[in-house]
Amino acid sequence: MRLLHTTLAAALMAISVMPAKAATNEDVDNSFFPYRDGVPAHAGLKAGTVIDQSNVEQFKDVLDPAMQHFISQGWTTVTVGETTSFDLHPNYVQATRDGIGKVKLGAKSGEIKGFIAGRPFPEEPSMDDPRAGEKLAWNYKYGYNWGDNAAIYPFYWKYKDMNSGKLERTIKFNFHFLNYMHRVNQEPLPEISPNPSGMFRAIYVQAIEPFDVKNTQLLIHRYEDDLKRDNAWLYLGFQRRVRRLASGQVTDAFLGSDVMIEDFEGYNGRINDMEWTFNGAKNILVPFYNHNALTLSEEHKESDGYQFVEMGDKGNCFPQITWQLRKVYELENKPKDANHPISKRVHYIDAQTFTIPRTLTYDRKGDLWKSWQIGQAHPDHHLPKNKGTGVAIDDSFTMIDVQAMHCTTGQFKGQVDPALNPVNKFSVQNLRASGR
Amino acid sequence: MFLEIMTKRPGGSYTAIQAGIVSTALAVGLGSGPLYAYTSEDGSVQASGFVENASYSRRHVGLSKMRNTVQVEGSKDYGAQGPFSNVSLVGTFRATYDAVYDLNDDQFGDKAGDAIQLESVGGSGQTVWGQSDISTGVLGFGFDTNENPNEGLVGLGSHLHDTEGGVGMGVPVRPCDKDSRGCIDDYLDFEESDLKYPEFNDRLDFLREAYIDASMPTASGATWNFRVGRQQVIWGRTDLFRVLDVINPVDFSRHNIYDELEDIRIPMWMATGEYQMGATETFDDLNLQFLWNFDKFRPNNLGQGGSPYAILDAGNFFRAMKNCWDNGCSVANFAGGALSTDFPKHVIGIRDVHLPDWSLDNTQFGIKLEGDYQGLGFSLNALTYRSQLPSLRAVVDNADNPFTPEIESQSYDYLIAFDMHFPRVNLIGGSLDFYVDDIKSVFRVETSYTQGEEFANTLRPELYSDSDVFRYVVGWDRPTFIPFLNENRAFLLSAQLFGQYLVDHEREKVNGIEAGIPDWEINHIGTLLVKGWYKNDRVSPQVIFAHDFKAHATVIAPSVDWLISDNLRLTVGANVKVGDGAQEFDDCRACNPFPPFTGPGEPGDLALRNLAGFEPLGRFRSGPIGMAQEEDELQVTLRYRF
Repeated sequence: MRLLHTTLAAALMAISVMPAKAATNEDVDNSFFPYRDGVPAHAGLKAGTVIDQSNVEQFKDVLDPAMQHFISQGWTTVTVGETTSFDLHPNYVQATRDGIGKVKLGAKSGEIKGFIAGRPFPEEPSMDDPRAGEKLAWNYKYGYNWGDNAAIYPFYWKYKDMNSGKLERTIKFNFHFLNYMHRVNQEPLPEISPNPSGMFRAIYVQAIEPFDVKNTQLLIHRYEDDLKRDNAWLYLGFQRRVRRLASGQVTDAFLGSDVMIEDFEGYNGRINDMEWTFNGAKNILVPFYNHNALTLSEEHKESDGYQFVEMGDKGNCFPQITWQLRKVYELENKPKDANHPISKRVHYIDAQTFTIPRTLTYDRKGDLWKSWQIGQAHPDHHLPKNKGTGVAIDDSFTMIDVQAMHCTTGQFKGQVDPALNPVNKFSVQNLRASGR
Repeated sequence: MFLEIMTKRPGGSYTAIQAGIVSTALAVGLGSGPLYAYTSEDGSVQASGFVENASYSRRHVGLSKMRNTVQVEGSKDYGAQGPFSNVSLVGTFRATYDAVYDLNDDQFGDKAGDAIQLESVGGSGQTVWGQSDISTGVLGFGFDTNENPNEGLVGLGSHLHDTEGGVGMGVPVRPCDKDSRGCIDDYLDFEESDLKYPEFNDRLDFLREAYIDASMPTASGATWNFRVGRQQVIWGRTDLFRVLDVINPVDFSRHNIYDELEDIRIPMWMATGEYQMGATETFDDLNLQFLWNFDKFRPNNLGQGGSPYAILDAGNFFRAMKNCWDNGCSVANFAGGALSTDFPKHVIGIRDVHLPDWSLDNTQFGIKLEGDYQGLGFSLNALTYRSQLPSLRAVVDNADNPFTPEIESQSYDYLIAFDMHFPRVNLIGGSLDFYVDDIKSVFRVETSYTQGEEFANTLRPELYSDSDVFRYVVGWDRPTFIPFLNENRAFLLSAQLFGQYLVDHEREKVNGIEAGIPDWEINHIGTLLVKGWYKNDRVSPQVIFAHDFKAHATVIAPSVDWLISDNLRLTVGANVKVGDGAQEFDDCRACNPFPPFTGPGEPGDLALRNLAGFEPLGRFRSGPIGMAQEEDELQVTLRYRF
């Protein structure tokens, strides 16, 4: 019996490491340009349609369950915009073509082989592929999110009581991102060297306001090896010291917000920490829009004239944006750790950009706990410097804790600008040198 | 318990705390209107700051602190200038007024202290200051009570222990402009205004920081970063303990060991040059720092005798001893170990303080190599500096022998007459930190080895000796979910174990008492912090425990931070100590400095040693926690940040 099990396991493993089917250039075209031959449609839905309590039933098939609930409760409405193509940078597309047939999953979850740059698995995911979900997770991890580098400069987080609308706290950050590997656009390509520990990406965060977090800096080093934990350091202004952080505790609420560290950008953890299941492709409304076409907030107006996304509706928890009907992949992740505070997340990954505009998080009992929305702005209708960058700009967020009736909203000024993200900004020593 | 005590006290401090909070609230909200931070249009100029009231009430004492603070922090970025890629100027200004010297002046101000009596177990039982059993009329003993009257005094350590047959002394406790007795020029000589407004002095302490930063890229890709000016330079990875973090002296008078070091480091004029190599083929990050502290030497501020916070009660001991040298003094149970004794001036005490003058030789240098290798943070440190703690050397060459008034002043071995010195210390050390994912924990290790530190030593004729010292801290940090307390937010558990080993320790047990170096040869202090967050981090309770293993002394400090708004924070806490309290050690009453009058045999003869007491050396065994055992406090702090 044991022999049978071993043989079966070996056979399954052998199957799983084989490319299910080699991707083609057509797969790449389909993956990056899904709307070249037309955009999705739904009966009665068109640009300008407002979905509210009165007509939500009509559009329930193009809304995720949480949005259906919010609208039917009268907490918010959805204004539909025209579906547009968010073309990623041509170099990223070309890198994907260059990798066709070379990339495959390793034997274990969290392992990938032959990947240089671009989208690792551009082929349409198959419900028959038992590791399709894992491949989507890799596509997300190596997505062109923020390109080779970017800064959110600045970035406002607001904590709100959803029932009363009371603003409890405003935190102002600067976030900086730099990819060390798999770079496709900015020199050096494809990797910054020296890179002795095989770092994939670094994130540097500086808290500006309010006083209790002022001068706090956070640095995260993420490694190419998915099985290796991040290294993270914190500089506390009142201590004037750099502290190494226990980076494995990613389910902690970040600075008391409704956002776990693991929630960043949709999912901010190791692929190996989760079991990934592909639940199919569908067309639903997701928060994609042209920032400059919105009615924007007058608050925090920048000296260059930039204005942030306005928040409104119940508790001021909802970004006042437009939504596009787009193709998404429904991807479920379940924590392998039995002590994890959630039972699962359901991600709605945008098929073109592989950003995660919508995620629903369920508690350990299986009840909906949080609704996570990251609005994506087209780079050509944002800051002038972002035009032509081929980066879907994270531009607004809301994390709604539907059980606590509390939300955290985020307003971004995303800037794809290498000058804001020099390599030395992502060193531990920079925390000390910049610390005050 | 605290409230009962506060309301019972005349001029109750509870009212004072209320007054403090109200005054701060008025200042920020109603008085001159809300204060705002400033950022220039281009972001190059920034200014912010805070106003704060910290009101503490001490059990049996009443108000111990009512500090009102204004701090303004500003910076100006100049961008690229000449060869420098970025130049900026940073300044921090702080002004405080501690109203405790006005509101509780019978404890800490110009009405503090009283007339005292001292124990004389072999004589009258208790004798009045200046009227000891051995006094004027007995050989050269006695002192002039007109210039050293029995007023404004407290018994040394009397808040902590009875004399119990040991040494007892009187400490003048009023500010030095009210009572100059025992004040040590240029060291512990604070007038009332200095105590009330501690930043306004000739060292410009209102200038917490004033430095220029400049970065200079090199062709190799590395960067030189220079910082010149008044600043704090922090080494090491531990909280609370100063193993490598010894560059700036510390003001313990602000709140003993319990304030953030950021607030109590005394800024110095220094220059640092950091060669930031960034990632190399081997290291993920590598940096070499050179440090030159070119400021005139400053010792730690240990808290003047009579002020609310005096670490180890050392300031009171020094003031008592300085008064003894300058004016004479009464000492309990001294002659024969049993009779109160009035010493004339220039016999025992502290004669002088030798603060290093400014000279190139007296400046301080350090070098640090710091980096990260495969997830292991490390530093290697070396520093040559002057001890910030005084060494008491019994090398006075003009002491008088009261038994032989006719003989000229001279030096006597084993005589408790001291000069204060601040010896040069050389330090090497290092630190590590790393994360262990299996237990989701960060470990921090910090260690140092010093040469040149000096310690009291009753076995040596000079009553001190030097010893190499090995210190280390092992720290453990773990964010941990405690679901029944909070399902969504992890608690921070942080524990540290600090160890100190005096390599050249000398101690003997003679005739039933401990003699030699009173400090423990090996001792450990453990700390544990448990901190949680509620209400989206707007409410944060925490408790800190610290335990001195050899002193058997523990402090428990619970507190709750409440962020009332993004600008306003209220902290309510307590600081409670439990343990053995005072400890005994050879007090050198039997050191026989004046044979044959003080005993047969030679000075220092161990055969004579049989007297020990709490004072003065027991403090080194009780440590900073044990010596503050009677300083339990209720603490309220309100800070408005703009």
